[in-house]
Amino acid sequence: MRVSRLRAAAGGAAFGVLGTLLLATTAQAATLTVWWNKGYYPSEDEATQAVVKAWEEKTGNTVNLSLYSTNNIDAKFISAISAGEVPDVAYADINDFLIAPQQAWKGNLVDVSSVVEPLKDKYTKTALLSSYLYNNELHKRSYYTVPLKQQALHNFYWKPMIKEAGFSVKDIPNQWNAYWDFWGSIQKKLRADGKRVYALGFPISAVGTDNFYTFNQFALAYGAHFVNPDGTLNLTPETRKAAIATLTFIKDKYDAGLIPPGAINWQDSDNNAAFLSKQLIMTSNASLSIPVSQADDQKVYHEIGTGMQPLGPDGKPIKSLVAVKVAFIPKGAKQPDLAKDFLSFIAQPKRLDGMLKAARGRWLPVMPELIKDDPFWTDPKDPHIPIAVEQEVTGPTAPWPMVYNPAYAQVNAEEVWGKAEGDVVNNGITPEKAVDNAFAQIKKIFSQYQIEK
Amino acid sequence: MSEGARIGQGRAQLVATIIISVVILFWTLLPIYNMIIVAMEPKDAVFSGSPWPRDLTFVNFWTVFTQNFWYLSHFWRQMLNSLIIALVTSVLVIAIGTITSFAIHRLKLRFGFLLSNAALLSYAIPLSFLAIPFYKILNTYGLLNTLWAVIIVEVTFASPYAIFIFSQYSTSIPMELDEAARIDGATVPQIFRRIFLPLMMPAIVAVGTYSLLLAWNEYLYAFLLLSSETEITVPVALGHFLSSDDSPWNILMAAALVYSIPPLIIYYMTRNRMTTGMTIGGVKG
Amino acid sequence: MNWRKSRPQQNQAASASLRGARLPADEPLASHRFSPENLWGIAFILPYLAVFCLFVIYPIGYGLWLGLRLESFEALFSDPIYWRTVVNTLLLIIVGVNLKMFLALLLSGFFLQRYRLMPLLLLIFILPWAMPSIPTFIAVRWLLNSQWGLINNVIWAGWQVDGPGWLTDPTLAMGGVIVFYIWKWLPFWTVIFIAGRTAIPEDLYEAGRVDGANKIELFRYVTFPMMASLYLICTVLSMIWTLGDYNTVRFITGGGPTLSTHVLATLGIRDAFEIGEPSVGMAAVISALPVLVPLVVLLVWRMNKERVQL
Repeated sequence: MRVSRLRAAAGGAAFGVLGTLLLATTAQAATLTVWWNKGYYPSEDEATQAVVKAWEEKTGNTVNLSLYSTNNIDAKFISAISAGEVPDVAYADINDFLIAPQQAWKGNLVDVSSVVEPLKDKYTKTALLSSYLYNNELHKRSYYTVPLKQQALHNFYWKPMIKEAGFSVKDIPNQWNAYWDFWGSIQKKLRADGKRVYALGFPISAVGTDNFYTFNQFALAYGAHFVNPDGTLNLTPETRKAAIATLTFIKDKYDAGLIPPGAINWQDSDNNAAFLSKQLIMTSNASLSIPVSQADDQKVYHEIGTGMQPLGPDGKPIKSLVAVKVAFIPKGAKQPDLAKDFLSFIAQPKRLDGMLKAARGRWLPVMPELIKDDPFWTDPKDPHIPIAVEQEVTGPTAPWPMVYNPAYAQVNAEEVWGKAEGDVVNNGITPEKAVDNAFAQIKKIFSQYQIEK
Repeated sequence: MSEGARIGQGRAQLVATIIISVVILFWTLLPIYNMIIVAMEPKDAVFSGSPWPRDLTFVNFWTVFTQNFWYLSHFWRQMLNSLIIALVTSVLVIAIGTITSFAIHRLKLRFGFLLSNAALLSYAIPLSFLAIPFYKILNTYGLLNTLWAVIIVEVTFASPYAIFIFSQYSTSIPMELDEAARIDGATVPQIFRRIFLPLMMPAIVAVGTYSLLLAWNEYLYAFLLLSSETEITVPVALGHFLSSDDSPWNILMAAALVYSIPPLIIYYMTRNRMTTGMTIGGVKG
Repeated sequence: MNWRKSRPQQNQAASASLRGARLPADEPLASHRFSPENLWGIAFILPYLAVFCLFVIYPIGYGLWLGLRLESFEALFSDPIYWRTVVNTLLLIIVGVNLKMFLALLLSGFFLQRYRLMPLLLLIFILPWAMPSIPTFIAVRWLLNSQWGLINNVIWAGWQVDGPGWLTDPTLAMGGVIVFYIWKWLPFWTVIFIAGRTAIPEDLYEAGRVDGANKIELFRYVTFPMMASLYLICTVLSMIWTLGDYNTVRFITGGGPTLSTHVLATLGIRDAFEIGEPSVGMAAVISALPVLVPLVVLLVWRMNKERVQL
């Protein structure tokens, strides 16, 4: 009896040891910490979570996913980098504007060339430029971020309001001045009927990102190039003239009563709110957030119109300023190789396409083949997406100045142009003086970011 | 003063009081009225431009209660987090405040005044500036994304004030009581528990309410130190609304009003103790 | 007892005479170092001592280390909005705090009148303090919106003109911040002053009334001297707390229009997180120390000097 029990015990022990050994070798599972921007619709978050789950199943690792709101995410990233306890993957919608260029400069980002290079042919030129950032610790450029999606400034208007004023969509002029005056004339007609509407919903505040997007796009239309492709400042007299013309343009429209005074305080979501509540006839916004937030209500979805940009003040087509949304891996991440694997996984065209569609087309693809392969992007029945595609992907585009020099991201962060807009409109400062103030501040910022040739 | 003159003076005082009361009501309730109206209107009515509400409905409150909106999918859990943080903060502040002031002022610990003065010196750097230092430190202690992180911050800020309220209030309790108890053979903890605490009860209620409301109101540290949907507090969740494309203001205000109710209940239950809580005991004509 | 010359010490003397012959002395209960009292005393202060060392000294030390660099101060002082921010902060703590304290003092007397509905009125009056600040300040922001806010809607409905730009004019915006800062905190300090007033012995008032004094004289010779020390301490404490006030400006104006209503607390956060320079954010508060430290020293000195009810 005792012998058989002993044998049973020995057998059990052996089995236990073997089993543990087996489990130990297969349990190589690691945890990846991912901080991602919270989406604007539930379906966006669900798409993110679905991709995360797919990666978990494929690799057998677990992901610790945190979704942060746009208005807090900069604080989270900066705190983490300052405290030295960083996530493995960090994506925020504002990374490209405000965070990634400076952190790359400081050497705080992990080189992700191994993720981007294999996809080089699939990305647009602008997308590659946006990721090819300068590292001042190593004095070289490399791919420090992974492009995922993009945005540009579009004009949105209410078709019913055009009709109510006695016009039709076909009447929208193509010339720069006539285009803006058109909205003004609609405002006049609607005001006569007692409606408190404003023609031009331009964000001119000193908070958020919409204000400097608007300014820089219009400045580009007027011919301003603030930064040369080699990263040096281009504050020539022509640039100065173009900047002054832009500020004068905004000031004139404000003085004519076409821009709501409250625009000076608009956070990024405020012009959306103002437009959707029908206080604005037309507004510019960087992404398709305005129409697609109403995608559940097909009637409203079709009442909003998305328009191409008019011809520039010089009569030529305007280049669209395209901002590419990027993710990065902070230096000090505990699982950099897994992080690269995760980003490669997400950046596969089909997967990106799925995530963008879950965002209802708010963001546009950075890979032209998606436009070709997926009819979602060119559906003629959709009043918004094809137009945005034509403007942002197929039409003439230009990258943001901060891809050439991270100092311009700092210019954005310090809201230099937002302050100039506000000073001109509200504080009685002339456009010339405001531009000179802005240039002085830009020069000071750039002096801290000298790129070695 | 003649009887007639006194009645006249009384009536004038009543009229003045009524006028001032109306002004106070208007002043106090104007933003709150705005909140209630927005919470009960349909979505686009916020911007409608009319001073009077139309189409009032309670459906937004129902949305909040049933967590039927994606920003609110963990609303009750987040309420619980807020409640835990607030209650634990109050209890800890009361505990730390009472024992520290007891040691310094009843036990007359030598150099004790150094600590109470140092406590006040901690106000030299306002809390909102210590965001990154606290983030770093709590990260080192591994407390990020736990409710304890916020509790620690609130307790640190409220304790100096608590120590001082308790110290000042304890001057109204005669030392003779302590001595008599010692002569009777009571130990120090017994004196603390049986004599000090019961007599300090009004001040305890006052300090507890202050700490509770302080923690309930916290936004900066809550969003900085807490991350996951199930750990954040309601103010952080309400902050999500501000990034929305869609401006669901009515649901935001409905949620905010629901969030206001617990502290109001607690304040209502303790209000009598609150005002008497700071008087010198027993010396009234 | 001469009611015209009432002083807090007289109050203490009165209470002492009720208790017995001895005035409270500051000798330790037992002088032996290892007496139970001393051991318990040490045990009782250990928790706060731990909190202080771990969560006061360490963060403040780290913050000072982070911000005390020359380039942080250079960056801070050359920021075009820094000086405006200092002015705004001073406006808030000088005008805002003093106006609020004065109103609180007056209202404390108001609420102590013996009308039946006073407690109910006080309960409603407490609401701004008791309700959480984020949603109430957001509601204030909507209230003040010049296009569709409630105030301007009423003006439009009544007079067919656009009301003033409450949040778009820099001066009006700062005024709005001060007004609604007072709106939020007035109840708290009023309650404190009410408590302070109820501590004043009733027999002092009786003596005055017997002598035929009217309300203003009673306030001047009884209430005010007794409350003076409490008033001063509360004012200083409020100034210190207000210097760190972040929520008010953040949610009512967001620092706007055009960064003109920032205060040091919001500027520090902006520098730390939006511009990504935490050391400049800390430099912002360090630049406030020349005002903060004297205030704190004053507070500590007064609190030690008078045994005053808070």
